[in-house]
Amino acid sequence: MRRLSCILLALLVLLGASGCLVGRRPAPAQGDPQRAVRRVLPNGVRVVAQEHRASDVVALQLWVAAGGRDEAASELGLAHYLEHMLFKGTTTRPAGFIDREVEGVGGRMNAGTSLDYTYYHMLLPARRALAGIETLADISVNAALDENQLEREKRVVLEEMKLAEDTPSRLLARQLYEAVFDGHAYGRPVIGRPELIRALTRDQLLAFYRRHYVPESLTLVVVGAVRPDDVVEAATRAFGRFPRSGTQRLPAPPAASARPRQLQRLRPGAHAYLGLAWPAPRLDHADTPAVDLLTAVLGQGRASRLTRSLRERLGLVNTIATSYAALEAAGIVSITAQLEPANLERAEAGILEEVRRIARDGVSEAERERALTVAEARREFQMETAEGRAFTLGHAETIWTIEEELAYVDHLRSVTREQIRAAAVRYLDPERFARVVFTPEPAR
Amino acid sequence: MSRPALLLALALLAVTTPAAGEARVSRHVLPSGVRVLVREDPAAGVVAVSLQARAGSRFETPATAGITNFLQRSLLRGTTRRSGDALAEAVELLGGNLDAAGDVEYAEVRGSALARNWEPLLDLVAEVALSPALAPAEIEKERRLVLGQIRTRGDNPFPQSFDALMADLYGPHPYGLPSVGRRDVVERLSRDDLLAHHRAVYRADRLVLAVSGRVERDRVVRAAGRLLGGLARSERSGDDRPPQPAPTAARRVLQRPASQAQILVGFLGPAVGEPDYAAVKVLSAVLGGGMSGRLFVELRDRQGLAYSVGVLNPTRAGPAFILAYMGTAAENAAAAEAGMARELGRIAEEGIREDELARAKAYVLGTLAIDRRTNARHAWYLAFFEMVGAGWDFPERYARAVEGVTAADVRAAARRYVRGATTVVLEPR
Repeated sequence: MRRLSCILLALLVLLGASGCLVGRRPAPAQGDPQRAVRRVLPNGVRVVAQEHRASDVVALQLWVAAGGRDEAASELGLAHYLEHMLFKGTTTRPAGFIDREVEGVGGRMNAGTSLDYTYYHMLLPARRALAGIETLADISVNAALDENQLEREKRVVLEEMKLAEDTPSRLLARQLYEAVFDGHAYGRPVIGRPELIRALTRDQLLAFYRRHYVPESLTLVVVGAVRPDDVVEAATRAFGRFPRSGTQRLPAPPAASARPRQLQRLRPGAHAYLGLAWPAPRLDHADTPAVDLLTAVLGQGRASRLTRSLRERLGLVNTIATSYAALEAAGIVSITAQLEPANLERAEAGILEEVRRIARDGVSEAERERALTVAEARREFQMETAEGRAFTLGHAETIWTIEEELAYVDHLRSVTREQIRAAAVRYLDPERFARVVFTPEPAR
Repeated sequence: MSRPALLLALALLAVTTPAAGEARVSRHVLPSGVRVLVREDPAAGVVAVSLQARAGSRFETPATAGITNFLQRSLLRGTTRRSGDALAEAVELLGGNLDAAGDVEYAEVRGSALARNWEPLLDLVAEVALSPALAPAEIEKERRLVLGQIRTRGDNPFPQSFDALMADLYGPHPYGLPSVGRRDVVERLSRDDLLAHHRAVYRADRLVLAVSGRVERDRVVRAAGRLLGGLARSERSGDDRPPQPAPTAARRVLQRPASQAQILVGFLGPAVGEPDYAAVKVLSAVLGGGMSGRLFVELRDRQGLAYSVGVLNPTRAGPAFILAYMGTAAENAAAAEAGMARELGRIAEEGIREDELARAKAYVLGTLAIDRRTNARHAWYLAFFEMVGAGWDFPERYARAVEGVTAADVRAAARRYVRGATTVVLEPR
């Protein structure tokens, strides 16, 4: 359903937050999540904690309201580069702290940079959770940004770019973003460009760090076998001493209505890849739930219309998928397929025929209900793990609100069939869209 | 660090003790011989089912490579009662999903759903596994998709290199075959071949059913008896011991258009349950575990030679591979390969430090706990270890064995297994 763009469009499924499954049925299980505790420290750092005792593990996440869209055109890739550098030690923690404090006690740490945010996540045994809060506080303001390490890491990031180039599905997704958001920050690659990465300096990185890693932009989320009061107390000790910056993040400008752009390129390999995309509502838009259900019925899952028609009935594609990414300032619906090159034209015509049909005839009540059940179930699966809960809470707190997130499944339930049809008419114009095609280059 | 975040969200979790919670596991054998494992987790809002049959590419030959995966994929295309579309709708209404595939050691039908729908889910899994329609037109559609899947591996440099390395490392042993299948085989398998394979695979003595979630043991066992109680056993239990693996212990170069070179270096390691099994897992973690494994620290952190670098060492009923891999720019490939060889050789020569040992053990135990955090993974673990003969409770015994591994054990394992490298290098051209 509604998905969130991450670097190179690794789309994250966002499902729900703590509990409050209301509506047609009673609360599902004894361990149903309690409401999260939310506190705002005097300096603006937000702390969200939830007790979840399904296991001994605790998920700790540091969310930063800074991502690719906060970069100037000359700074592309800084947010992501900084994310790499935060693993390289602080003024008090030499490089290798992951080894000692995380992996050496059976934990894990990683991070992701997206257009709207960056987040760092740890999983630790419960007895180490409060120490993990200290570590996250330390990297959030005290990163060493060592000059030598900074130079070495350039090669790693250049390799990361090459890896993306060699993976057709990722490249397709990124180029669809570029096409739909042409001229907007969302159309630029979060990973940056090789020439900018090679030229990047410590001063640039430090300036970005000082500007964006400020208390008002930070949210700490801790979910697991912990007492929320202990979390708030430890977070106050660790984060409370940072001075308020007094600055405010610039809001992302709205995306201009896309000019339909087409891109075709040759790539090694046997298959063709086809992507069609449309601009769509941003996360807090009133139409978001309707577009979410529309894309589910149209193209998500084996029972969806595009899979049935293009893959099963017509046999024109090997795989086909539809995604809706609702970002803070804009959204994007994309339909991507992998297919034989000879089927490209007929497949595109088939997709557009389904798009026209759903705008003309709408969806059936059975389709609407199935899409709702799928949404409800995904939320339940997201709630299985501490990090699933933490992600949902941190994401909502950073670019939306937890209240909106909690009410989201109810919003989906209130969407009528007519609203779904209207969303198709409004957003999926079969005459105006972005298209990216990869075709196999002739064998050499 | 930012790899696709979806993978991270799903793959990362760590604890030092098994995340058992209040869950209780019990094992039952139906009169037919089907083994049933139930993990009751009263806190779960969902239920997961894994039905595994002892089959897969391990039991295939160059003439049948891919038959299990082809069969499994075809099961989802309709039963004697429902079309493929109707199956998909039915499972969505349970708030769940249903999938089937052939792997190296097993054929699996798996599903999950909201907990309240556990019984209809179990019905659907059994219906797909035991009453497939295997209609000719549907088989043809699936054949096209599987062939597409095989070609896709060739579109992506890592899978392409991986398949080449497996072939070189195992030689005549079936672990050298791609479990997704060989193109020539999938092109010619007939409906009769699939029907015969279905009859051979879905036998009571080959099957394990595992259910995890908010369920009641007695009710699950009754339902399993109703659904799987009538299955016959295999007609003969022939000796199907495969040929010995015969690694080339050589270096092969592939060339294709690509941005990065791929370097894969493989060795043969122990089978599940063999005495060195835990020591080799720790060895793999010393080399390739997370951000503090030697390959990551030396080749990525210090030398900046790669973004993706690591070690794969899966669990197999027979000799499992130990595979070190990295992707790097063409101009760095020679330095990267030399650096990797140096790290692989160093452990046997110099041994490891105590702090490395402690870190690697914590990492291995963390991985085990991390991986068993959803009901779907619990169901898979229970069924898999039971089915390969290690016993469903093997992971707990394995965790204790890991705790007992010494630095000398790791060095001895390196001397024994990390020698005679079989290498595949994919060079961009």
